[in-house]
Amino acid sequence: MRANFIFSEVWIGLRRNLTMTVAVIVTVAIGMALLGIGLMINAQVGSMSSYWSDKVQVSAFLCKKNDPFQACKGRGAVTPQEREALKTQIEGMPQVDRVFYEDQQKAYENFKASYSSNNVFLSIVKAEDMPEAFRVKLKNPDEYKPVFDVLSGMPGVSFVSNDKQLLEKFFGLMNRLRNAALIVAVIQVFAAILLIGNTVRLSAYNRRRETGIMRLVGASNLYIQLPFVMEGTIAGLVGGVISAILLMLAKVVVFDGMQSYFVLSTQLGWSEVAQVITLTTVVGVLICVLASFVTLRRYLRV
Amino acid sequence: MIHFDNVTKVYVNQNRPALDHVSVDVDKGEFVFLVGPSGSGKSTFLRLVLKEERPNSGAIHVAGKDLARLSNFKVPHLRRRIGCVFQDFRLLPNKNVYENVAFALEVIGKPRRFIRKVVPEVVELVGLDGKAHRMPDELSGGEQQRVAMARAFVNRPMILLADEPTGNIDPATSIGIMKVLDRINRTGTTVVMATHDAAIVDSMRKRVVELEDGKIVRDQSRGVYGQAY
Ligand SMILES: Nc1ncnc2c1ncn2[C@@H]1O[C@H](COP(=O)(O)OP(=O)(O)OP(=O)(O)O)[C@@H](O)[C@H]1O
Ligand SMILES: [Mg+2]
Repeated sequence: MRANFIFSEVWIGLRRNLTMTVAVIVTVAIGMALLGIGLMINAQVGSMSSYWSDKVQVSAFLCKKNDPFQACKGRGAVTPQEREALKTQIEGMPQVDRVFYEDQQKAYENFKASYSSNNVFLSIVKAEDMPEAFRVKLKNPDEYKPVFDVLSGMPGVSFVSNDKQLLEKFFGLMNRLRNAALIVAVIQVFAAILLIGNTVRLSAYNRRRETGIMRLVGASNLYIQLPFVMEGTIAGLVGGVISAILLMLAKVVVFDGMQSYFVLSTQLGWSEVAQVITLTTVVGVLICVLASFVTLRRYLRV
Repeated sequence: MIHFDNVTKVYVNQNRPALDHVSVDVDKGEFVFLVGPSGSGKSTFLRLVLKEERPNSGAIHVAGKDLARLSNFKVPHLRRRIGCVFQDFRLLPNKNVYENVAFALEVIGKPRRFIRKVVPEVVELVGLDGKAHRMPDELSGGEQQRVAMARAFVNRPMILLADEPTGNIDPATSIGIMKVLDRINRTGTTVVMATHDAAIVDSMRKRVVELEDGKIVRDQSRGVYGQAY
């Protein structure tokens, strides 16, 4: 193999088809970036759900003074008797694993820890704004319904929140985003295949003299096809590099940025991003190589 | 060297055979003219030797190899032992003389050192020394055909196939082309040349195989173009 000979042929081919090559690169880059985003969302949801699986709880917030919640209208803060009754009630339920009581000071500390990056929140919220709460850990987070219903009706409870439901809403949103990204990625891959097919056809037409002579003097099929396949490979690689940059930006701007708005508690690590980038680049290059090869067989008689 | 045994070739969508039960033997080192009217099957004969086309029946042996049993994978190796020149030269317009000849070696993976050594030798053999850096459009038709011959011969093929190499060239220049072909033949290379050029055939006094409607109607050593009764 004469490597520099092949490379000069490839370079000539790429330059001759510059617009098509750019189109292929852009399509591959977008397709692979979306595929990567989909995979990154998947990884994020996966690590979040495993992180949360043993932490989900049902929280019953208790009425405080002048509480705006409907359930607390026309009454004052929760009384010690009500609080005691609630505690006995909760502990008596068979679905409950453990229950913790959180007073206003503790709630404020938790709040400060969670929103440490958000100074606006911190400056307007004070300890007496925070509700007391019972944090209930269930034996099986899926069987929240009876506990949820009983707690909602108890006097002194302002409202009940279930982490499981909140998380599922969030995961549902993430999954829809992931599916959308993957669908568009598939469309992009399809477009990339068609574009590569066209590029190879153009390239084969442009180089028909060369390939004709190559066949005549006995160049092997590999040697004749390699420049075309290399053109596809290089376009795929460049597209892969661009999508890698897009994915790294997405990690820093979107995924890490999300961290400061929601408390995701699990961060998408660089090693996961590296895995995703490797996978998408390999997929991109493979698609380009295969698409070039298949079209070559149709347009390059050997 | 080339052995056709009862070879028939019918192109798809064509009812008349391009070659009709052709049997012919060309020995090593021979010089053979293939003559006959247009459409008589001369180019088809040459394409069959290169395994660019397959016969419908009959057997073809080239350089001791049965082409029917030669896998597609091995066809390039067959073609490396066969040089080809055509009426339309088929040079690469963006490469100079040296690069056009070197191209034939580069694409079969010959080392650069070897290419640097043999290309100038062959360029000289075809009479183009001093013109190695000209582009094809700076050469006359006869000179371009010399480049094509250099490219066909640079890998020292056992067989050289020439399909009307003088078809686009005036008679005076053609004599020069024939001298080069003769020189190549004298190195031991078998030459098969399809031509319409009566003057050339008559002057060379080589073996003449005449085709008509795909059939061999004459096979004469030291023959002439027209029928010599
Ligand atoms: N690729 C092809 N497909 C179909 N028919 C073909 C093809 N090539 C040649 N033929 C037919 O086969 C017959 C022989 O053609 P061939 O090219 O071998 O003739 P030739 O002797 O080389 O003619 P010329 O002197 O004009 O070059 C002709 O009738 C031609 O029309
Ligand atoms: Mg012909």
